[in-house]
Formats: sequence, structure tokens, C-alpha cells
Amino acid sequence: MNDVVLDLAVVDRLRQLTPTGEPDVLANVLSLFLQEGRRRIGGIHLACRTGDAAEVHRVAHSLKGSAGNIGATALYLVCREIDDRASEGDMSGAALLVDALDREYARVEAEIARLMG
Amino acid sequence: MTPLRVLVADDDPASRTIVGAMLRNAGYAVTLVADGVQAWAALTGENPPAIALLDWMMPGLAGPEVIARLTARDTSTPTYVILLTSRDSSADIVAGLRVGADDYVTKPADEDELIARVNVGARVVQLQGALADRVRRLEEALASVKALQTLLPMCAYCKAVRNDQNYWERVETYFHEHSGVQFSHSYCPPCYERFVRPQLAALDEASHAAEPERQT
Repeated sequence: MNDVVLDLAVVDRLRQLTPTGEPDVLANVLSLFLQEGRRRIGGIHLACRTGDAAEVHRVAHSLKGSAGNIGATALYLVCREIDDRASEGDMSGAALLVDALDREYARVEAEIARLMG
Repeated sequence: MTPLRVLVADDDPASRTIVGAMLRNAGYAVTLVADGVQAWAALTGENPPAIALLDWMMPGLAGPEVIARLTARDTSTPTYVILLTSRDSSADIVAGLRVGADDYVTKPADEDELIARVNVGARVVQLQGALADRVRRLEEALASVKALQTLLPMCAYCKAVRNDQNYWERVETYFHEHSGVQFSHSYCPPCYERFVRPQLAALDEASHAAEPERQT
């Protein structure tokens, strides 16, 4: 499994994206990721407990998109695994995958905190 | 030239921000919306964006539903639609193109690829605009040609024609007004023999007759 927490090439591209005279795109995107991220992790936990595969699929898909945006490769891959399984109604390995999700998310959070200093 | 306007519809605010910044850096004007209902409102309102980037999964109206509604419209200037979709969903891409999307971009979007595809859209929009303009001009030209196809009363003797306002006018005036045709006056060989030659002969005779008088 790819173990990149934050792909710095992606982060660099986001840093360079800011149009002149506008708010910083990188800072904006990272803070949006953190705002939405916690809520989405909570949503996946809840939907897993209630066995709602459709909801797991929806939220994991959104989180996968956000992770992809900021180059959080390892988190992206866990989200994709959960998303793919849930979209087929498969909740068998959900508990293990959600543990991995928590771990990866915490690593991304720490990396963002370090980056934004 | 005013920049072309592009609509970005995505329920994820970070994705919207990123794609919006990429488009602005490439010189496009950008409208950002968070769902399909707002996208539909913007695309059917006043001065609608010519190009739309629509996320596949959105609350309310999803991307494909917006596309289906757009393609059902009868318009000479259709919206150029690019679907935004996850990298690993080729079934979604096929379905999106089937309902009428013009192109797709996988997420997370690569800046160079996204801009290249939007530029293709801009070219198509420009061609469509030029084509619609040409069709409009041809329709106008056809309308004035039709005005010449009606039954035209003409005087059997002097060839004057009766115009739409019931006045008799010279045939060249009538055609000039209805078609923009310009007439230059000349004569055909039979009329030269019949009219011009006798007139020239008469003129010649008159001048010869006048000469001896001047000598006296």
C-alpha cells in the first residue's frame, strides 16, 4: 500500500494556484479539508454502526475526493477501498477499514498542522 | 474581449475552490455553485455560462440529470458540458457521455488536462456561435429572396411593375429595393439594330444637313 501521507508535489501545485490578489488557495483548501474531514469520519463511523452501506458509500466517496485534492494518498486509498466495497453493499471488513481510516486521517491532520505551522 | 464564463458545480467546497482557481488563472470568468439545482438555475438564467463543469455526485440534481435536462432543450447555443468524475469509474463516464456530456475530466483534476479540455470547449462554443450567426444571416437572405417569388404585375407596354404599395415603378427600382441588385444600363444587339443604329443615322444625317447652312 502506498504510504504517502501528503504528496508534496500536489501541495506545491496548490500553493502556486492562487490567482493574484485572491485568498491563498492552499490554506483555504487545507482548512476546508479539516472542517469537512472530522464530520465525514464521524458520518462513516455512524453509518457503519447502523449498517447503512449507501450512506458509507456516499460519505467515503466525498472524503476520497477531498483526500485526492490535497494529495493525501494513503487516506485516499483507504477511502477508495471503503467506497468500492460499500457501493456493492459489502460491509464485511468495515470495522478493520474504519480503524485504518482513523489512523490515516490522524496522520494527515498532524501533517497539515505541521505544514500550516 | 470579455472572458468566457465557465460554471463549476461541485458539492465539495475544496474541489470548487481548486477548479475555480485553475480556470481563473487560465483567463476564464468563473461561477461556482454547490449543487445541481443551482447549476440548472445559472445555466437557464440570463447570460448563462457557455461551458459547465458538473460533478457526477451532487445532492438534489446530480450531474447526469442536469445534462439530460440541458440536452432536452431546443436551443441554437447549447451549453458545452464537461463531467467531473472519480478516476476509477469508467461506467460513470460512459453513462455520462451517453446522456449528452461533451467530455469528462477525472478527479482530482490535473490542471493542464483540465484547461486543455476547457479550451477545446471554448473552441466548440466559438464555432457554434459563428455557425448560429451564419444561419441567422442566411435566413434573412432567404426571406428577401422569398419577397421576389410572389406574383408581380407588369405593364405589357412599358414594363413598369406594380409594387407592394400599389405604385407603378420601373422594374430596376423594384428589383434594387427587394434584392440589392444594381443595374447598369446597356443595350442588346437586336435593340442596337432596331433603336441605336437608326438614331445614330438620323444624327449623322442631321449634322450633314446642318453643315451647308453654316457655310453660307
